[in-house]
Amino acid sequence: MKLNILWMYHDVMDLYGDKGNIKVLEKRCIDRGIDITIDTCGMNETCTLSNYDILFIGGGADKEQALLYKDLLSRKQAIEEAIQGNTFILLICGGYQFFGTHYIDNKGNIIEGLGLFDYYTQSSASVGRCIGNIAIEADLDGTLVKVVGFENHGGQTYNVATPFGKVLSGHGNEYKSSYEGFYNGQILGTYMHGPLLPKNPEVADFIIKKGLSRKHDNVELDALEDGMEHKAKEVILTRLNVI
Amino acid sequence: MKVRIALIIGKIIRFILVKLGRGGSLPGKIVLSLCPDILTRVTYPSTVIMVTGTNGKTTTSNMIYEVLQTKYTKVIANRRGDNLKEGVATLVMANTGWNLNIKADAMVIEIDELNVPKVLNEVKVTNFIVHNFFRDQLDRAGEMETIVSKIENAIKPYKNQLILNGDDPNVVRLGYQRENTYYYQVSENDQSTKVSNEASEGKFCFVCHTPLTYAYYQYSHIGEFTCSNCDFGTHEAFLSASNVDLARSQFTCENKHIHAPQDALFSIYNCMAVLSIAKLHDISFDVVNTVLEKFELNDGRMERFNIGRECLLNLVKNPTGANETMKYIQRDTADKDILIILNDNEQDGTDISWIWDANFELIVCDNVKHIICSGLRAYDMALRLKYSDYKGQIIVEESKEASVSCLKQLENNAYVIATYTALQPIRSILRRNEA
Repeated sequence: MKLNILWMYHDVMDLYGDKGNIKVLEKRCIDRGIDITIDTCGMNETCTLSNYDILFIGGGADKEQALLYKDLLSRKQAIEEAIQGNTFILLICGGYQFFGTHYIDNKGNIIEGLGLFDYYTQSSASVGRCIGNIAIEADLDGTLVKVVGFENHGGQTYNVATPFGKVLSGHGNEYKSSYEGFYNGQILGTYMHGPLLPKNPEVADFIIKKGLSRKHDNVELDALEDGMEHKAKEVILTRLNVI
Repeated sequence: MKVRIALIIGKIIRFILVKLGRGGSLPGKIVLSLCPDILTRVTYPSTVIMVTGTNGKTTTSNMIYEVLQTKYTKVIANRRGDNLKEGVATLVMANTGWNLNIKADAMVIEIDELNVPKVLNEVKVTNFIVHNFFRDQLDRAGEMETIVSKIENAIKPYKNQLILNGDDPNVVRLGYQRENTYYYQVSENDQSTKVSNEASEGKFCFVCHTPLTYAYYQYSHIGEFTCSNCDFGTHEAFLSASNVDLARSQFTCENKHIHAPQDALFSIYNCMAVLSIAKLHDISFDVVNTVLEKFELNDGRMERFNIGRECLLNLVKNPTGANETMKYIQRDTADKDILIILNDNEQDGTDISWIWDANFELIVCDNVKHIICSGLRAYDMALRLKYSDYKGQIIVEESKEASVSCLKQLENNAYVIATYTALQPIRSILRRNEA
């Protein structure tokens, strides 16, 4: 089987160790003999997004995120084409926010988003930043899985119709909220760094399967030895008292 | 009167704490609560040097302290790394007399980056050194841009000498179009590279947002940079290190041979900050060199133990520090065993995602036979290595005691890397295990 991933803005959106997600997807494919290719696409680079099974955008520093914003808006049509072509999209933090209707900064300025979904984000000046370890119960197309990560975001995301999961401990989309992230069956947006995938192999495999399903029918993945992954997750779940 | 009462109370508390064998910045905290403007009420010596930066500030301030001692009779400093405002208040309180004069000829202050705005314009700083800005504890400090802009604002009313690392774009911007600014640099050498794959910030010109171009990188985003679109990066060096010979830990500055305390590039930068201060204070480079040759590093900075074989301990706090430590370890081409202790307490940074920004691939190679992962987040460290395709043996021992026993039983060259809160415990365990 073949899987190709496009890592967008790899050189700018590289804060909080999100590149770890790519390493996890890569190794879990190689270990199963899946032929994986990872391409990158920086600002102003030409690239056909709809050629890919998975698109990934990580988090970045506020200032640098602002610089690539125009580039992302210019690719709106390309992103829509990729979505129509069943590309799976994983968005962490800044990337997640960009896909909503708009962002309201701390001065009240409204910055237009891609507008692919109805949620929007407001800077948190008044309520405080959401920082710390987080555990949620995610619904992966009907399978409930505990997912852990580290959140560190000022933006409060409102009006999410279909969240990624229910908060067990931590903040989530808003300061002290009950839900985290966005997931609609094809696009997964989340504030969870850590990075997300090393300690959550179920999510990693779920994404690989989703990506493979674009070109292959009835995809089944071989089981891998995940003892260390589960231990790492257990440390956080125990600490947050949600085991 | 309030100032004097606060000082007396502070001094009594400090006296008791010292008798109990405890130091720390509690007295300063109490003094600040009794008299919040204490730092503006005292008279400072004519030389007050303040040092900030992400990495190397403790070593650099301690070197400056020793160099100043060759010229001044009494030099005071917060040498034990109490680098928050409370620590500065403790230092001031302990050395201020009834006439509110600080009894010293010179003062050296190491200051945490986030505390610069709280201290810079209260203390009469005469020389302010900004050494570097790296991605650090994101959970505590926020993004680097936030810190740099806070310091940028704090510097506006400050008119005295500003001494900057001229090879760090995030630092250089503090001196943009500013007078009384001095830059130290290190020229290209055999460790310099044309490309960098290390996570870094400040890839864009802060004036016009054009991507910066580099003639070479030293490490992380430190190197000779320019903006192709505007005049950012055209600053002139006040001092420059050349003929860098890391194998011999030496370099040349203004035709003098200087010995660096560590055989690593960051150590050359530390020395350049010290030399800049020496030049501005008319202290000869020969005198500086004599001090540097005898200089002893702090705890956990390439500290050696003998656990039946030699074992080298290093503190790491952020990706850049970790990368430099790993590059150092890899200069030893023999077979190695490495113990990494990763904690995530407040002072370590509660967000350990930085281990994925650090280039641990540096130690993923055939001559690293075993990597023992320990500490509160031992398993996260193990995953970092597993997903880098490390082919040696990964051993997880959450307990520090057990991790050292394990390292002791192996037989290759031994290295230990520890985060902040793991450092003192691991030092005492290593000492107990000394042959």
